[in-house]
Amino acid sequence: MTTSLSPRTLGIDSAPPPAVGSIPFSRLVGVEWAKATDTRAARWLLALVALSTTAMVLVAVLVPTSFDQTDASYLRVAALGLTILLPVVAILVFTGEWSQRSVFTTFTQEPRRIRVLNAKLAVSSMLGGAGAVFGGVVTAAGLGLASVSGRELEADLTVGAITGYLLFVLLNVFAGAALGALLQSSAVAIATSFALPAAFAVLGTTSALVSDWIDTSAPWTWVLENDWAGHVPQISFSVLIWVAVPLTAGVVRTIRRDVA
Amino acid sequence: MITTTALTKRYHKVPVVRDVSLHCEPGTITGFLGANGAGKSTTLKMIVGLVRPDRGTATIDGQPFVELPNPTRVVGMLLDASAMHPGRSGRSTLSIAARIAGVPTTRVEHLLDLVGLADAAEKRVGTYSLGMRQRLGIAQALIGEPKALILDEPANGLDPEGIAWMRTLLRDFADHGGTVLLSSHLLHEVQATADHLVVIADGAVVTAGRLDDLLASSTILVRSPDPSALAAALQAERIDFVAGPGDAFTVDISGGRVTTEVLAGVARDHQVLLTELRPSEADGLEQLFFSLTASKAAPAQEALA
Repeated sequence: MTTSLSPRTLGIDSAPPPAVGSIPFSRLVGVEWAKATDTRAARWLLALVALSTTAMVLVAVLVPTSFDQTDASYLRVAALGLTILLPVVAILVFTGEWSQRSVFTTFTQEPRRIRVLNAKLAVSSMLGGAGAVFGGVVTAAGLGLASVSGRELEADLTVGAITGYLLFVLLNVFAGAALGALLQSSAVAIATSFALPAAFAVLGTTSALVSDWIDTSAPWTWVLENDWAGHVPQISFSVLIWVAVPLTAGVVRTIRRDVA
Repeated sequence: MITTTALTKRYHKVPVVRDVSLHCEPGTITGFLGANGAGKSTTLKMIVGLVRPDRGTATIDGQPFVELPNPTRVVGMLLDASAMHPGRSGRSTLSIAARIAGVPTTRVEHLLDLVGLADAAEKRVGTYSLGMRQRLGIAQALIGEPKALILDEPANGLDPEGIAWMRTLLRDFADHGGTVLLSSHLLHEVQATADHLVVIADGAVVTAGRLDDLLASSTILVRSPDPSALAAALQAERIDFVAGPGDAFTVDISGGRVTTEVLAGVARDHQVLLTELRPSEADGLEQLFFSLTASKAAPAQEALA
């Protein structure tokens, strides 16, 4: 420890300070990406996402009766594996700093909170995209394994199927992000992300209105299966209530909240 | 330069900060003194945009904090040393701050050395003691080469050696033209560090000024084994005084006419033996501080918890 300080050390040279511009958005995104991925907890969670995806595809390979043995079906299985925990990663991108209280630092480094939230949204998209690519690789490996084992798989992988897959993964990630932005607490948001869909799934068994419009499993499965015909209103409505509304409310709440 | 005008904040209709106006000049250390729950932290958070004031303004170098393009280049702050991600290493914590500020990463190593954390740089912050977190917080505050520092209870958790080190650091910072605003609930801590003082109680500023002025004694204590002779001498010279403490007398010198030297002369001229002649204990501030804070300390601490 040293107590002798040069002005340089403290950074208050008598020379006029250089004109400092605002923080580039790319820098905010880079920093948020680092925050989302550089801790041990974050890496474990990402490893679990990889594991659950791989496990799901392995089931499709090892238990042929469990899923349709087609290319697109394998990709959908990967999507289901990915979206078990990937939304949790997105939730934590938004809630982690409230729970760790590092918002003190983050919102004083960039007091325009909307920019921080946009950076976090960008990071969530990147995580979703990276997850989707990983899922694609795992799918390819699974398909390779299946064909090595001499199984005949139907080649039905269309652009539409890939688009549906990508949208499904991103929808799940954004729903997590929206829930995190709104609730601002890791524990509450994660619990809600599992409990609420489960509750609506139960309710959906008694009401087609709930299962087709409010519960996400039917509308988002239509997205995954690229089955838009006759489902656009339901899909739009579910995106509205699970992504658009909570995200908007979360942004407003975060911008207005006193960090005490 | 840090300036606030009439900052006011209520939580659930309870006033927490009332009309707080501060002015911190470059080259000075301003101590913001008050009991726990007096409104110090809320005031500091309003200055840096974490809490929205109901009324009033705060500016850094004439600009509201939230409008600074890259705030950590202008003002460094340590508001809560425990509010750091426990899973990240000290170095990584500083690296993120350096990236945001846009300063070279060499500055990270520089500051780790400066605050004595070079050896613990790879350890996770969760394993740090409060004192180490406080040092890391100081390093983070300095990372953007700021011109001003805002520190909330920076001495918390530091050992005596660490406190002495920090005083030197802050004095150096101010001597090089920096502006420092630090809060504390300990009078002696502020006395040893600051040169300007703002005392806050129940959310309102109760006294403010240069520490020397506030500490300067406005009375002289004079004592004689023969109090009646001394009283007669003072009366003869038309010097106002009050009896006490004890059998001593207290002479008001705020008029500027009377000094210890004048009183010594009076005693000589009147052949009165003096056993004590000195400025009264500079206890005015301490008395004020305790009278303002003692009665409220208990409920205030509950409110904080």
